[in-house]
Amino acid sequence: MLENFSFRTIIEYLPLFGQGLITTVWLSALSFAGALAVGVVLAAMNLQRSQLFRVPAKAYIDAVRATPLLAQLYFLYFGLPRLGFVLPELVVGILALSLNSGAYIAEIIRAGILSIPRGQVEAGVASGMTYVLRMRLVILPQVFKVTIPPLLGQAIVLVKDSALLSLISVSELTRAGQLLASDRFMPAEGFLTIAAFYLLLYYCLKGLAGLSSRWLGLQPARSST
Amino acid sequence: MSTPSQAKTGMIDFRGVNKWFGPLNVLKDITLSVEPREVVVVCGPSGSGKSTLIRCINGLETIKDGDLIVDGQRLGDPATNMTLLRTEIGFVFQSFNLYPHKTALENVTLAPIHVRKIPRAEAEQAGRDLLAKVGLADKVNAYPSQLSGGQQQRVAIARCLGMRPKIMLFDEPTSALDPEMISEVLDVMVAVAEEGMTMMVVTHEMGFARKVAQRVVFMDAGAIVESGTPEAFFSAPKTDRSRAFLSKILRH
Repeated sequence: MLENFSFRTIIEYLPLFGQGLITTVWLSALSFAGALAVGVVLAAMNLQRSQLFRVPAKAYIDAVRATPLLAQLYFLYFGLPRLGFVLPELVVGILALSLNSGAYIAEIIRAGILSIPRGQVEAGVASGMTYVLRMRLVILPQVFKVTIPPLLGQAIVLVKDSALLSLISVSELTRAGQLLASDRFMPAEGFLTIAAFYLLLYYCLKGLAGLSSRWLGLQPARSST
Repeated sequence: MSTPSQAKTGMIDFRGVNKWFGPLNVLKDITLSVEPREVVVVCGPSGSGKSTLIRCINGLETIKDGDLIVDGQRLGDPATNMTLLRTEIGFVFQSFNLYPHKTALENVTLAPIHVRKIPRAEAEQAGRDLLAKVGLADKVNAYPSQLSGGQQQRVAIARCLGMRPKIMLFDEPTSALDPEMISEVLDVMVAVAEEGMTMMVVTHEMGFARKVAQRVVFMDAGAIVESGTPEAFFSAPKTDRSRAFLSKILRH
């Protein structure tokens, strides 16, 4: 059985896998940044007293969580052009991942914000900070610290979800595997290789999360310039 | 000391203020005027509304009716910029509420830099000076978790002073402290008072009241029951409720 497994073909296709990997990395990074932005805004809306903000935020989060990502992606890719918005597939892909992941991240951030003691908000208010200022300086830095583990989980999901973009012909990592599988009829080689690359990305993300929690954590002494 | 009157506006002026939490009337018809540079100690049993009283002054609580005028500005008036007014009012919390992700110095300089727009270098110099003033020159780069309760509360006081406020409010500043740390915080508060700060202090520290307060206000069940100089209040309380309260806190 293993004699049929062609390492040589994998090596031959490595440049293609490399390009796919790079595309997956940067489009996931962009999507995650977008998702964080979407998530912070939705979480902030969801925590307002006014229904005017809360109802649309909740409706959006429910809609995204209740429907398959593939359906959302197809809606943006095939549906939007019918409504007059023609966007390149990469933009559609990043948009879909940001909007989808943002709904999950909104709930993570909302829980994180609720975990910050009320006194922190009051300290910011009492010193004359506006809502935006105390979110930026006081609340969110603390929220990100406690939410790093769940955000890491969401980042991993996002990287894996980006495989769906192969279906709208974005040449990312999974697309490279598909090409090897269809060009040479070597699905085992193709998909095992991309699996290895996804595993690699997973460990990179874990390392990054560890670094950032140490960066945001308490350091014994730091010179403040 | 000048006598507060209805006609004259003090630094803090409560005029017939009422507040409810649901059906509970937590502030009952409060009329109280605090002059510039005056130090007023507010005491009373737990749940008497004393914390709520001072939390109204910087708008952490809103009032239902009556007028509350702070530094010449009426709270709740559309013309009053509450955010701006708060920069003039320092508030020291019972539980310190320092920012745990910031060093002592960063805690002190955060609002001056971002709210007051003071240049960073200048704010940091002022912050170092303030931390030295509260006896924490060696803790400039320490995080709150590395400080004792008394040290944290002194940083919190320095954080307020960094904004150069006109008024300082203290909400039971020593209640969360171990006994041996209380005096280090009170000493700082005495120093602030002696520099002429307008202060309202919710506390049961009667030594502090005797030393720096011009007036003690005794509250019970949401109303001001008695108000007078510390000597008069402690040696000859006028009401049964204040006598009962004093006998409880002075016994031990």
